[in-house]
Amino acid sequence: MSVVNESEEDIIIRNYRTSDYIATLEILKELQNQYDIGLKEEKWRETSGLRQFKPNLKRITLIAEVKSTGEVVSMGMLEAVKNNIGQYIGYLNNWATKKDFIGKGVGKILADKAIQILKSWGCESVRINMAYEGDRKLIDIFGKVGFHPIIIVLEKKFE
Amino acid sequence: MNGSPLSEFFSSSSADKNPFEELAVVYVLYFDEARGHLPLLIYPDDRYKDDKNFMRPIKYHPIWFLSIDEQEVLDHIDLEFKGYTFFGKKFLTTSKRIKRRAGLEEDTPETIILIVSLPNNLEIFGDYLIKQLTEEIRENFESKLFEIIESEIGKDEIIKSPKIKKMIENGNIIKEELRELIHKICTNFFSSVIKESDSSSIKMQKAISYLALKGIDVGHIESEDYKDSFSSIQLFDPTSVSEPRYIKKGSFSIIKINIIEDSQEIEILVRNNKETKMNDLNLKITHVKEYFEKEVMNEHIDVWFPKEILLFISPIIPHINEYLLIIMQAQNKERLLSQRINLDLLKKIKMKNIR
Repeated sequence: MSVVNESEEDIIIRNYRTSDYIATLEILKELQNQYDIGLKEEKWRETSGLRQFKPNLKRITLIAEVKSTGEVVSMGMLEAVKNNIGQYIGYLNNWATKKDFIGKGVGKILADKAIQILKSWGCESVRINMAYEGDRKLIDIFGKVGFHPIIIVLEKKFE
Repeated sequence: MNGSPLSEFFSSSSADKNPFEELAVVYVLYFDEARGHLPLLIYPDDRYKDDKNFMRPIKYHPIWFLSIDEQEVLDHIDLEFKGYTFFGKKFLTTSKRIKRRAGLEEDTPETIILIVSLPNNLEIFGDYLIKQLTEEIRENFESKLFEIIESEIGKDEIIKSPKIKKMIENGNIIKEELRELIHKICTNFFSSVIKESDSSSIKMQKAISYLALKGIDVGHIESEDYKDSFSSIQLFDPTSVSEPRYIKKGSFSIIKINIIEDSQEIEILVRNNKETKMNDLNLKITHVKEYFEKEVMNEHIDVWFPKEILLFISPIIPHINEYLLIIMQAQNKERLLSQRINLDLLKKIKMKNIR
């Protein structure tokens, strides 16, 4: 089976709407099954993906939609957080693409848009949070576009 | 003194008609040669003139005990009492009233005392107000005040002859004219006095903030064209660009407010109701502390898409339950939404819904 790349013309990148709740929930469930991102359905509310404004924090959920069908095929959350020394650092979190669209370049279109947004917000750098036990190949893929591992985050879940 | 605070006396329903009624009380009094210090008129309401507690600071105000000569040097005499300042002024007016004490002639002038009481926060206005009242009353009622005095004395007569009745009637008409004049001066006073005020005075800014809290319209202070307006005062931050008050209703609306008790935050969902996108906006959340506006949150929104709902998460300050949310254009400061948020009320509604 040949892989047909989605072009930028075929995909609309837009911000999350409350009507995207069901579609995003499905994508997040897929992500949860694979990486245990700690998703609790009752906590991902209709309004959770809206653009958020909070002192020292900006957050937006980007949606990739197929122009012809309106299907939501990928999502990613980005946030800009002001650190202790006054710098804004951008983060890409919970980046997920529907199984059928993996490898078709949708994620890259989404990530390019996200980086543009983070730059416009005044971020000095951008970080990607990845599952430690995730696919190591991803590190190489991100390495090709300038992302390199700098920190390891350790986490302990409270009972 | 065991009486009620003075403010309690001003909680009458008449206060709704004129917001200044609870700010300024004007007493016109005279010295009665037979009975001493007596009130002629109390604005806004005469009914407290027989209330001993209410009248105590008036009857024993030091203005009574100063001669006109001494007073001219001092302009007016103040007495501070229970959170209020009582400004006193004494002056003489012509009279044709037959006096009831030996040695006094028919044309012996009437001794008039004018007292204005203001909350201490507004005492800075007292000088101007009493000066204006004195000038206006003297100009318009110089030769009429004795007729009100005659009428008041006549009211105490047990047998009222037709002549006394006529005198009372005449006095009442003049008294109403006097009341109307005081009403007019008081109603217009606070906006007019701000015209000539010094914006560098913290005391003045505090007084204006007090007026704003009492719901008095001090909107011109925030107007963007304040330089052309009658006032030189700017509230809160004299260096910042001022904000016009007019609001285009309906451009934005608050859809929902959630209080997050754990993190001491509120989530506010706001929708752009327009069919067009809005650029370059600011959303501010403020509260008032000690008469000054404090900013809790100020977020810039570069673009707000049509019908888009945005989520604003603001910290809340312990023990502060009232906030003001303002959405405005960043450039010209035009206000697009201004909404008061009362957390107590929200909590009550939430509790009611749970039950």
